[in-house]
Amino acid sequence: MSPEIINLLIKSFVETCYMVAASTIISTLIGLPLGVILTVTRKGHILENTPVNAILGAVVNATRSTPFIILMVAIIPLTRMIVGSSIGTTAAIVPLTISAAPFIARIIESSLLEIDHGVIEAAQAMGASPLQIINKVLLPEALHSIVLGVTLAIISLIGYSAMAGALGGGGLGDLAIRYGYQRFRVDIMIATVVVLIAQVQIVQSCGNYISKKLNKNKL
Amino acid sequence: MIELHNVEKTYHSKSGDIDALHKTNLTINAGEIFGVIGLSGAGKSTLIRCINMLEVPTGGQVIVDGQDLTAMSEAELRKARQNIGMIFQHFNLLASRTVYDNIAFPLEIQGLSKDEIRKKVEPLLELVGLVDRRDHYPSQLSGGQKQRVGIARALASSPKVLLCDEATSALDPQTTKSILDLLKDINKRMNLTIVMITHQMQVVKEICDRVAVIENGDIIEEGTMFDLFTNPKTPTTKDFIKSINNVELPAILKDVPLSKEYIEGGKLLIRLSFIGASAGDPLISSLVKKFDVDVNILYGNIDSIKDTPYGTLLVEISGVRTSIKAALTYLHERNLRMEVMGYVS
Repeated sequence: MSPEIINLLIKSFVETCYMVAASTIISTLIGLPLGVILTVTRKGHILENTPVNAILGAVVNATRSTPFIILMVAIIPLTRMIVGSSIGTTAAIVPLTISAAPFIARIIESSLLEIDHGVIEAAQAMGASPLQIINKVLLPEALHSIVLGVTLAIISLIGYSAMAGALGGGGLGDLAIRYGYQRFRVDIMIATVVVLIAQVQIVQSCGNYISKKLNKNKL
Repeated sequence: MIELHNVEKTYHSKSGDIDALHKTNLTINAGEIFGVIGLSGAGKSTLIRCINMLEVPTGGQVIVDGQDLTAMSEAELRKARQNIGMIFQHFNLLASRTVYDNIAFPLEIQGLSKDEIRKKVEPLLELVGLVDRRDHYPSQLSGGQKQRVGIARALASSPKVLLCDEATSALDPQTTKSILDLLKDINKRMNLTIVMITHQMQVVKEICDRVAVIENGDIIEEGTMFDLFTNPKTPTTKDFIKSINNVELPAILKDVPLSKEYIEGGKLLIRLSFIGASAGDPLISSLVKKFDVDVNILYGNIDSIKDTPYGTLLVEISGVRTSIKAALTYLHERNLRMEVMGYVS
């Protein structure tokens, strides 16, 4: 492989990392409160509120059932409004974030629901407010499981970022399509796939490691 | 310390309403250990959860330490709950926190500084005997140790009342004993009012001063441990007492007809129960000496309620009508409880 190709590969890799990292951070910032609200407003939970839960649930489901490639095209006006352009690596972050946030919200919801109701009851019996229960009981107790869920979201985002690449977002997906597929460069195609596989492996291993460190349940 | 006035709780479900607790009145005095015993589904969990409003009663008043909890706002209630500690059957510790941090938890909620928290947590670690486990996580502890953490956590905010929800039901008998000893010790040392619900009569007998029996959402019997043991009124209470204490007649007397009237040459069967100092009186020998009667002991048992010795004797007395009558009068004057069962020929 020529140095240009390697440079190209590195550049694409950095672009993918940028897209995935930025969209993970922003979608977690959005998904975390959403997931918490989805959990605590459930029936029988600390801030039971059926209308809020039903409306939020419907919005999350609607976003999640839209295929990414369609979502990406459908929200081009929004992307243009936020980033100023609908093409490019930064522009790809908008649809990536919008598709990942509800996914993360659901993941966080299911992690929080795993917490034994007795522990919540104990905190209530000590006079903890709902906000204290969220901050000091629900989130810390579920953290190891949330980390695994976010790892899953990152891996999905790596996949989505390849699609975003095809629509002008850059990154490894873009490289594989333009060079590997359209110019019949099998070597580049293989190199891209190898980098993607390695990337996913590393992300999953890190996620597993951190989650295990945080989990004090099984020692 | 705790007063329940007409407290009731109804759960609404799709399949209809369930009355978990009917109009319940209960007064629990400061510094006593009060037991609530009942089978599962009797409503005892609902009852104890009404005391700290984890279950909001459908009607009635809950007064703890002079404050009406049912009339409070959410924020006032949270403040009041800091005065009421609670421990649970399954401990409900935070798995992600160490022993020390679990005990510190209620103090963090109250917004105490790290220094103030340390000053309170360290003596508690000492009290429950877990100083060497302070940095362990709950998953590294045994059941008894977990409950000790639960107790220390409940005591951290220096409550006046401690609620125990089946606190020993998940523990083996030996560990149960040590936890009960700890509770008894705390009760004495801090003059803490303890309310415990359980289905284990052994637990009640070990530590409770007074006890209420609950069935189908009603308190069917209430009294001191001695009253309940020596004079159970309802079949449920009798069943509970039977589980730990033999109150049945010996097999040979079971099918013998008992007569209320004096039978010439017959014997009078009586059951005597005595508690505390009177358990040391030479009762039988003074009966024989003072009156012209023969006394035969059929069954005897000495046990203890809390730490007070308590005995049961099943005796038959024989003699002429007048001497039996005199003996009975003598027994009536003693500090004991007597049940005249009848004459056998």
